Amino acid sequence: MGVYILKRLILAIPTLIVASIIIFLLVHIAPGDPVRVMLGPIQDQVLVERLQQKLGLDLPLHEQYLTWLGNLLRGDLGISISVQRGAPVAELIAERYMVTLELALLAMTVALLIAIPTGILSALRQNKLTDHISRVVALIGISIPNFFVGILLILFFGVVLLKTWGAGGFVPIQEGLGANLQRMILPAIALGTSYSAIVMRMMRSSMLDVMSKDYVRTARAMGVKRWSVIRQDIVRNALIPVVTVIGNSIGYLLGGSVVTESVFRLPGIGNLVINAVYRRDFPVIQAVVLIIVLLRILVNLVVDLMYAKLDPRIQYTSSE
Amino acid sequence: MKLTRHRGVLEEFWKNFRKNKLAVAGGLIVLLFICLALFAPILSTANPVEQFKSPSGERHPLPPISRSDDGHLFLLGSDRYGRDIFSRALFGTRSMLKLAVGAVGISFIIGVALGAVAGYNRSSWIDELIMRFVDILLSFPALVLAIALVGALGLGETVIFGLRFSNMFKIMLVIAITYSPRFARVMRSVVLQEMSEDYVAAAKVIGASGTRIVVKEVFINTIPPIMVQASLMMAETVLISASLSFLGLGLQPPQASLGVMLNEARDYLFQGSWWYAVVPGVFISLAILGFNFLGDGLRDSVDPRQARRVGR
Amino acid sequence: MMREELLRIENLVTRFYTEYGVVQAVDGTNLYLKQGETLGIVGESGSGKTVTAMSIMGMIENPGKIENGRILLKGDNLLYKSEKEMREIRGGLIAMVFQDSLSSLNPTLTVGEQIGRVLRFHTTLTPHVIHKRVVELLEKVGIPEPTKRYGGYPHEMSGGMRQRVLIAMAISCNPSLLILDEPTTALDVTIEAQIFELIEQLKKHFNMGIILITHDLSVVANTCDRVAIMYSGKLIEQGSVSEVFKRQLHPYTRGLIRSIPRIDGPVDENLYSIPGEVPDLINLPGGCNFAPRCAYKKDLCEKESPTLAEFYKDHTAACLRVKEIEYAE
Repeated sequence: MGVYILKRLILAIPTLIVASIIIFLLVHIAPGDPVRVMLGPIQDQVLVERLQQKLGLDLPLHEQYLTWLGNLLRGDLGISISVQRGAPVAELIAERYMVTLELALLAMTVALLIAIPTGILSALRQNKLTDHISRVVALIGISIPNFFVGILLILFFGVVLLKTWGAGGFVPIQEGLGANLQRMILPAIALGTSYSAIVMRMMRSSMLDVMSKDYVRTARAMGVKRWSVIRQDIVRNALIPVVTVIGNSIGYLLGGSVVTESVFRLPGIGNLVINAVYRRDFPVIQAVVLIIVLLRILVNLVVDLMYAKLDPRIQYTSSE
Repeated sequence: MKLTRHRGVLEEFWKNFRKNKLAVAGGLIVLLFICLALFAPILSTANPVEQFKSPSGERHPLPPISRSDDGHLFLLGSDRYGRDIFSRALFGTRSMLKLAVGAVGISFIIGVALGAVAGYNRSSWIDELIMRFVDILLSFPALVLAIALVGALGLGETVIFGLRFSNMFKIMLVIAITYSPRFARVMRSVVLQEMSEDYVAAAKVIGASGTRIVVKEVFINTIPPIMVQASLMMAETVLISASLSFLGLGLQPPQASLGVMLNEARDYLFQGSWWYAVVPGVFISLAILGFNFLGDGLRDSVDPRQARRVGR
Repeated sequence: MMREELLRIENLVTRFYTEYGVVQAVDGTNLYLKQGETLGIVGESGSGKTVTAMSIMGMIENPGKIENGRILLKGDNLLYKSEKEMREIRGGLIAMVFQDSLSSLNPTLTVGEQIGRVLRFHTTLTPHVIHKRVVELLEKVGIPEPTKRYGGYPHEMSGGMRQRVLIAMAISCNPSLLILDEPTTALDVTIEAQIFELIEQLKKHFNMGIILITHDLSVVANTCDRVAIMYSGKLIEQGSVSEVFKRQLHPYTRGLIRSIPRIDGPVDENLYSIPGEVPDLINLPGGCNFAPRCAYKKDLCEKESPTLAEFYKDHTAACLRVKEIEYAE
């Protein structure tokens, strides 16, 4: 098992390297000189050159990349040039990543709590009214952008329900879980809506797939109770592909949290990266994008491990 | 040897499509939006950037069915600057669809070319190289990649290698690059599947050249799955372009954009100007809904066994 | 040993209401089976043999429906049972083994759990006793190292072993009737022989009645006491194996037996196959269903539908021209 994880991690390295090259090139081929952005209205040639030298921007591209990569490996994500000039990017991210992570996890929890039971129910009542309704609702759920869901929630809870809900503002977990959750639950619902619809549809079709399998027929032919067939034969096997989808769509949640943070003005890394784009703070953009990609690859690994736990047919390659 | 399978494929596809209520509903919504976009200049009641004066004693934004100082009727209300929301929504729809069609078109061309080359040279180093690259691009969440690209290119119009790109075209490119890996994936698998069909083998035996096989036989059979993908991709493209605009990274004011409108409306939620946010939000959602219904229905038409499957 | 009648099917009609039309899957089948006896049901796919078995099991699902007839198990009509009562009968009094052993076992439950839960639903045994019983069952069906195999998963076993597991599951509650649906099609010949040996053993041990569904007449010759031949939803010939192999009354049966490869035949002999195709069960023509493929067809055959009639002792057939064909030989 340990060897398997190690192997998978090693396999992820080339992907990460290529991804880092893509991110690096993206920002460095781009038009506009970061130094000029930093200096703003002062466009003194001597100053520009001195700064370029200081930041290593006068070096050939591949050297710049290697320096950047080397710094990354030492945990140095660079220095912010405009969002918060002079602040280490690592610090900026450290202050904010908890918010994004909490939002994504909460959204996922909310979504799964809705999606899995609905998907099961929908499949068990295939082509009946319940099924039709939940399928159409799911399609609608997928279609409404999460920022609009967020705005509707604010309108409804914040305005129509006479501001009974503190829709704005953010309270860190350290200052009380209750207050924090009260502020986070609406963003989580906004972010989780379309995600939940995606998972529900997947669960439903996976269930239908399993329901036509021979082993379900066998179980029934042996007089196994309906509930037990549903639980042990159908749901258990139907969940396997769904877990993969849940894992693969973590990127969707991370991307969506950027927008959701903006709607609810939450101080997460999504807000950070948008600020950085506004102010062309390249080190911040690079670092945040890289971290999100890294996170996604890690989550995929975790999902693969879970997959093997759920499906006994998957074997870890033996350690010998 | 069935060399002319394609007619049946398309006919079957169309027949199944018409039977699917959801798909037809989606098709109608899409059609409606296309009309709204095409005829925005005729249908709109005002210039989308014209600022009307509010009647004395009242302040913008004004609610639906109210009038400006000089008697202009705001069908769906006015925005913070006194502009007509209905007209802005129509022009916003126009630019949104223009963006989406352009983006899907470009990513379609890139993706289909890459996918077809990879699929036709299956398991060669070209295939390996293309698909590796595609996989890595796919490990970027779509919106994050788009944001990074905008971050690299800057807001507003941009110059890349000496070529000047309008903001609109730049965003089109950004979204196209974001989605072309998906098209490449789909195209490759479709080509691979088609290549293994009997009629391709038959065509090879007869001696048709490799290119002709791909173009003639494979191409027609790939139309249905590609249409499904294109429709679903339109939904995603509309979503991502609206998201970018909402974040202030897409179309820039004063150009009428549904995402920008929603963004502006945020500051007016607590004073109860619901129409300001609801109108553009409903326009965006309905457009996405239309493409999703259509794509979903088309998918069932491609694989009717899926839809018709009986069992408990 | 006095053989009591175990199962009797009278005039069973099962139809499927699909969007393309009504499928006459089983059309007026009559069958009986005695205790300790093996009945082979033979036919091509689509002949209605599996639907007959599923009708006995009470597992005909929408859009299928049993429209007529009686299915008597020890004199008790199963068609009057509620779903709950049928659930107790399935796996209890009647058990069924399906053909593909890999897809017929749940890939995510251990072999022991899958057999154990059948016992749990049909008995009041404690988990500890169930565990012991499962190990005994695995041993009884000839699985080596049963204690170790208990915790194993289906994919870790060979096809033959999995089929034994399915059989263990089926006999776990001492059923009176065991239905085997092509139990050996996925297996090679040596394993097939072993499985049939096991079934023979178990039949004697438990005094079960067995229905063996197959398309292979040579299997029937070796393992069954009686045989019933089905064609396009109808039973066309029924009798003791010795009788039917001695003289075939129906032209279809005759064709089937001619198409069995013979070890003593010439090496380069082409295998006989019946010309034509199985009819579409939705648009059945009037008259005898086999008429379009029949070498002995007369005009009457396309108008009148033959019914089963007894020509010799315990040997019935549904053909209008039995007498003429017999004399023609």
